[in-house]
Amino acid sequence: MTTDARAIPSAPFSPNASGGRADSLRRSFRFGDAMLGLVCRGSAAVIAIMLGALVLVLLTSAMPAIKEFGFGFLVSSEWRVNELERPLKDAAGNVVVEDGEIVMETIKPAFGALPVIYGTAVSSLIALLIAVPLSFGAALFLVRVAPTLRMAGPLSFLIEFLAAIPSLAYGIWGLFVLAPFLQTHVGPAVKSALENVPGLRWMFYESVTIAGTVVERPIPITGRDMFCGSLVLAIMILPIVTSVSRDVLKAVPRTQIEGTLALGATWWQSCVAMLRYGRSGLFGAVMLGLARAAGETMAITMVIGNNNQINPSPFAPAQTMASLLANEFAEASEGLHQASLLYVALVLLVMSLLFNIIARRLVVGKASPAGH
Amino acid sequence: MASARFETRRLTSDAMFVVCAACTLLIVTLLLLVSGYLVWIGIGSIDLSFFRDVPTGDVATPGGMRHAIEGTVILLALAAAVGVPLGVAAGVYLSEYSHEWFFAGPLRFIADVLTGVPSIVVGILGYELFVVPVSRWTSNSVSFSGYAGAAALAFIMIPIVARTTEEMLRLVPKTYREGSLALGASKAQTVLRVVLPSAFGSISTGIMLALARVAGETAPLLFTALGSRLLTRDPSEPFPSLTLQIYTYATGPYPEQKKLAWAGILVLLALLFAVNLLIRVVAARHAATRLGKV
Repeated sequence: MTTDARAIPSAPFSPNASGGRADSLRRSFRFGDAMLGLVCRGSAAVIAIMLGALVLVLLTSAMPAIKEFGFGFLVSSEWRVNELERPLKDAAGNVVVEDGEIVMETIKPAFGALPVIYGTAVSSLIALLIAVPLSFGAALFLVRVAPTLRMAGPLSFLIEFLAAIPSLAYGIWGLFVLAPFLQTHVGPAVKSALENVPGLRWMFYESVTIAGTVVERPIPITGRDMFCGSLVLAIMILPIVTSVSRDVLKAVPRTQIEGTLALGATWWQSCVAMLRYGRSGLFGAVMLGLARAAGETMAITMVIGNNNQINPSPFAPAQTMASLLANEFAEASEGLHQASLLYVALVLLVMSLLFNIIARRLVVGKASPAGH
Repeated sequence: MASARFETRRLTSDAMFVVCAACTLLIVTLLLLVSGYLVWIGIGSIDLSFFRDVPTGDVATPGGMRHAIEGTVILLALAAAVGVPLGVAAGVYLSEYSHEWFFAGPLRFIADVLTGVPSIVVGILGYELFVVPVSRWTSNSVSFSGYAGAAALAFIMIPIVARTTEEMLRLVPKTYREGSLALGASKAQTVLRVVLPSAFGSISTGIMLALARVAGETAPLLFTALGSRLLTRDPSEPFPSLTLQIYTYATGPYPEQKKLAWAGILVLLALLFAVNLLIRVVAARHAATRLGKV
């Protein structure tokens, strides 16, 4: 901006200006305007270029994996970083032996994103299930009750401040406080309560094949699992969902509320009318929360257990797209492994862009757009 | 009959009122519990050596985090040097040139969408754009650098700064612009001498908020700045940052390092709180002087 300021004459307008002076003044005016226009348009173009670069760079560097796996990547649950050697088996399932030696076959590395897509989807959904009702309730309170108690200002300030706490802080809290608590108290209690309920055994036991026989073994409760990850995510998205839905509800016209009350609605019935009136904006708030939960990295990496397998139990460790990237990208050797991780990043980007686009479309003009 | 139905409606309403109040109470206590715990443990772990010393390499007496604090300050300064001018100029475009063509509307949308891009993806972009090419160039194995980290942070800052600047410029009354133009000032003069200065306070608070936000970012730095245990001031090398160091120490096995991580979190939270408070004060004073003048 400073280079620009220099282009402007220090005494822009003087009543004595005449003839050549006015001409030069006009020229410098035009020059200044042109410069400012150039700088502003250029900077604005940078924003468009940033989005373009993001998509283009991820697309090109993920290309090897896209070519190799195609869309099958999204539904495959294999994740083998290294080549694997195992005994070759014939059609009957017997080990092939030639010249007294077991014939080995080499399996190429293979990559699939299903476990992380599953992990991201399930952890985000559980987080939303916990956070959204709480947030809506709090938003109603903030809009309809808090102002009369002169609490709206402080409460809003508090919630905005909490929305700005870095995810690293939530991660550390989850790792050192929540996870141990879940491991020693909640996990065992839930297990002893639900273990013998028919139909819920899958939550605490997994079947594994060891040496050809299927063995059922208990899932060790470590506290760092899908449940803990979802809880931390829920806590993290509470402030943002609350503040956006508060803004949406605030925008409901007063006449709407007064109309319902005049028709004899109770407090809650008029609240329901408010929720119904703002439903598209509220859905936008949920989508913003979803986008945030799905893209959340540091906290979830610290608490979800980082196990790249699909396990339906909430007490088993899992992995999300973001946590997979945080864990493996630095160590990935160039080639298919890195390309596959970039493919995951691309899927994550496209997904969060989608959520954001839907959310912005719905909340547009109804909530403060800048910031988080 | 009718009165019984009324009675149920009233009871439901009262019950839901309590539920809503309970939701608010639960959220506020939960979040206060989390941040209060972090602050409590942080205060117990912080001392002067945290700010004064550099890592010793000994896990029993790990020293302090001076290198990481300085690293974060340098990273933020570099990111702001790129991100603030670009962001403010883009914000001026969105506000002052918004009539132009069909560019401003979609651009605003793109800026909004960019603020929602997961920060880990930004980190990977930084790796592909700044680390990989530089490695090829210098034929190093991998050239993680402070510059790459700062670029990733700037990437996060630009859309936020642009959108806040735009919002703040929109609050400047249209009559200011008209008055300036009517006095014979050019558009550039109007924007630079009238519009921007009258929104200066609120724009700078927006910038501080953006800085506070990227100061707490870890994911974009994982594959760009990488982190370092050395007190380095050369951003072309792997660069230390407070958040990266906290992450390394917190996930590591040594209790003394974990203590440092808690202290680091406290510093981050204190910074965040200070910025938020400052913004409130500045905003209040700004509003007051404005009212006095107009």
